Order: sequence, then C-alpha cells, then structure tokens
Amino acid sequence: MTEIVHVHEVRLVGDADWIAVAEICRLCRLDLTAVIELADLGLVSLRGGSSEEWQLPAAALPRLALAGRLIRDLGVNVSGAVLAVELLEAQRELESLVRRLERLTGQ
Amino acid sequence: MEYRDYYKILGVVRTATAEDIKKSYRRLARKYHPDVSKEKDAEERFKEVQEAYEVLKDPEKRAAYDQLGSGWKSGQQFRPPPDWASGFEFSGGSRSAGAGGAHVFEEGGFSDFFSSLFGGGSPFGAAGRRQQGGRDHHARIDIDLEEAFGGGTRTLDLKRPEVKADGTLELRSHTVRVSIPAGVADGQLIRLAGQGEAVPGGGRAGDLYLEVHVRPHRLYQLDGRDIILTLPVAPWEAALGATVTVPTPGGAVEMQVPPGAQSGQKLRLRGRGLPGQPPGDAYVQLKVVLPPATAPEARTLYETMRTKLADFDPRAELNRR
Repeated sequence: MTEIVHVHEVRLVGDADWIAVAEICRLCRLDLTAVIELADLGLVSLRGGSSEEWQLPAAALPRLALAGRLIRDLGVNVSGAVLAVELLEAQRELESLVRRLERLTGQ
Repeated sequence: MEYRDYYKILGVVRTATAEDIKKSYRRLARKYHPDVSKEKDAEERFKEVQEAYEVLKDPEKRAAYDQLGSGWKSGQQFRPPPDWASGFEFSGGSRSAGAGGAHVFEEGGFSDFFSSLFGGGSPFGAAGRRQQGGRDHHARIDIDLEEAFGGGTRTLDLKRPEVKADGTLELRSHTVRVSIPAGVADGQLIRLAGQGEAVPGGGRAGDLYLEVHVRPHRLYQLDGRDIILTLPVAPWEAALGATVTVPTPGGAVEMQVPPGAQSGQKLRLRGRGLPGQPPGDAYVQLKVVLPPATAPEARTLYETMRTKLADFDPRAELNRR
C-alpha cells in the first residue's frame, strides 16, 4: 500500500536549533546516563534546569552519534569514546587543512 | 540467496568460545568501522562482521545456525530447510534490512541470508519503543550538486518498517515530497517533522531525518561548501595571461589567468561555491593542454620554441643537488 504525503515544511537542522535530551538519546541510540557522562567530559554542553528540560545543540548531533557508534560497535567506554571523537575530529580538520593548503599552493 | 559463513567472516573456528568470538569481533570492528577505517569497502566488511557477531554472540541463534551444518561454503546458493527454526525460540527483536532508494538505516542493513534465518521481527524491539510518541526515522537522500546549489523538490519512496498489532513487522511504502533547501551540504541533516514512526491512537509521530549525500559530479569536486574544478587552458593562455570563461554551479564567470601561470596552479573565485553563511569558494585548477604537433605549422612552432628557448629546463628541480 502506498500513501502519498505532501510535505510542505522542511528545514535544515542548523546550529541555532536545540533538541530535547530524550530525542537526542533516541537519535544517537545512547542512554541518558551516557549522554550526561559525555556532557560531563565536555563533549557536548547541556542547557536546561531539570533532566526533563535538558536540551543539546543540534550541532552536537554528529559528535554524539559518532560517540554512540563507537561505544556500541567497538565496546569503548565513555571516556574512550570522547578521546576517540576528539582525535578523529582533529584528524579530519588536519586533513581538510592539508587539502586547503594544497589548493592555495597549487600542488 | 548466498550462504554466509559467519565463522569465516569473524576468523574463528566453529568451536570458538564466546570470549574468542567477542575478541575477534572487537578486532575486526576496530579494523573496518566506517568511522575510523580507511580500508576500501570498510562499510561493507563492517556490516558483514556485525551480522556474523549478531548471530554468533547469541547462543540461541548460534545453535540454530550450527544446525545448518558445516558443509556449506560462503557464496554457495542457499535456501533454508523446510522445517527451519522449529524447536528454536529467538529472544529479542532481530534487525530488518532496509529497502528502496532512500532507506531507513541505523537499524537495518543485514543480508537476506540473515533475514531468511532469523526473520524480520521488529527492529525496534519492545524495550526501545517510545511511550508517548513515535520514534524518529533516518533515511539517506542522494542529490546532485546542482540541487545542493539551487535547491529543488524531490519525491522519495521510502520503505518504512511498521509494527503491526500482532507484533510482526511490515514494510510499508511511503512517499514524501521534500523541498531541498539551497546550499545544503554533504552530510547535513534535513528534518521532516512528524514523518517518522506513526503512533496508533493519535500520539505524536516521530520525525524523519534525511542525511544528505551529494553525488559525485562530472566537473566539480566538493570539499565542504568549496568546489574544485579542473580548467584546461592553452599554453599561450597560461604563459601570456588570458580572460577565460569558467563554468560554476551558479553560472559561467569570466576569470583572469595571470601571465606565467603553471599547470596545477589553483585560482580562487570567492563566494562561487555552495551558498551558505558564508558561501563556499570555487577553486579552479589550471591544466595546460598542449596542441597536438601533427600539423606542419604546429611542428614548426614547437621546433622554433626548442631552438629559441634552449635554456628552458623543465626538470631543473630534479637535477639540482
């Protein structure tokens, strides 16, 4: 059976958006304890008073999703996941920088 | 469908202990995990490893798999025996493969072989279900660079797993029309509110997140919002300078090639990449193309250059000590 749904309202998830922590947990397949621990270790920042009101910036989604995959698939603990995420991001930044420098120098 | 030798995939013997299987899985997961691996086909290999581990780590599934016997070889044509799975009871939900051009992922990706043996139970397992609202779904959308630049409208056919009242899984076709915002970058998420899992009884439906993948382009390469284009130029254009027409996603522009430009040199067209805040740049890499020396006039010109430019040594750098 096929149903046609016309979607009129579509928007990009941008830097200005905040997502409820429960939704983040579902999206990244992380439990709340792990998200709190990841926030405590500085991977992301939470805002809001009580745990029901906590929100995270949408921009943090890729970092948390990556941390979630590393925890689930590789069996690393939360501290290890934070370290791995930061090192992977640093590696990607350096690779991007090298590409930019190569472009600017014409190599 | 083809038989999969899960023991071979994990590199363990059929008598391997649970600890051996776990160790081997960890080692291979580290090697092929798409987030950390630079191996070719890493994603495909990782899925195989995950699927093999999903079966061999679970005593019930492993016992059932072992019932098939050890006479099978990877890749051999396979059909489950008629009385397959009688006497076995698999606890927990198994995963189901996604389908369609844009498909639900994260939860899916296992092979037909796996599905034929362990069924298509709910990928969302009872424990993962939301109490008040539907779950968010993820799908991937492949777009052309022109669509990333100018935006557009796309109709997507999605196969969406839905849990029926009896707890079994049904893949329902679902068509959505999506407006792609101009300037969307590779890897960016598009959110469609209320287009995720529906909830019987009027609960809040989940959202659908589309992860954007920009297809490789005939002319341009993408790096974030920057685009890179290789532009062929004639030797005299590079040597003497010229004004050339350069195609960009936003339309052709005139660009000055400075005198003395070299093949491989990159020139920047500020703000001519993908739109955004700030917009990306276009980098034009020059490629000097020589006219063929087949016509007599061309040969004469090359011979004149050889004589008149005898001091020119293109390999001077190589010979310097």
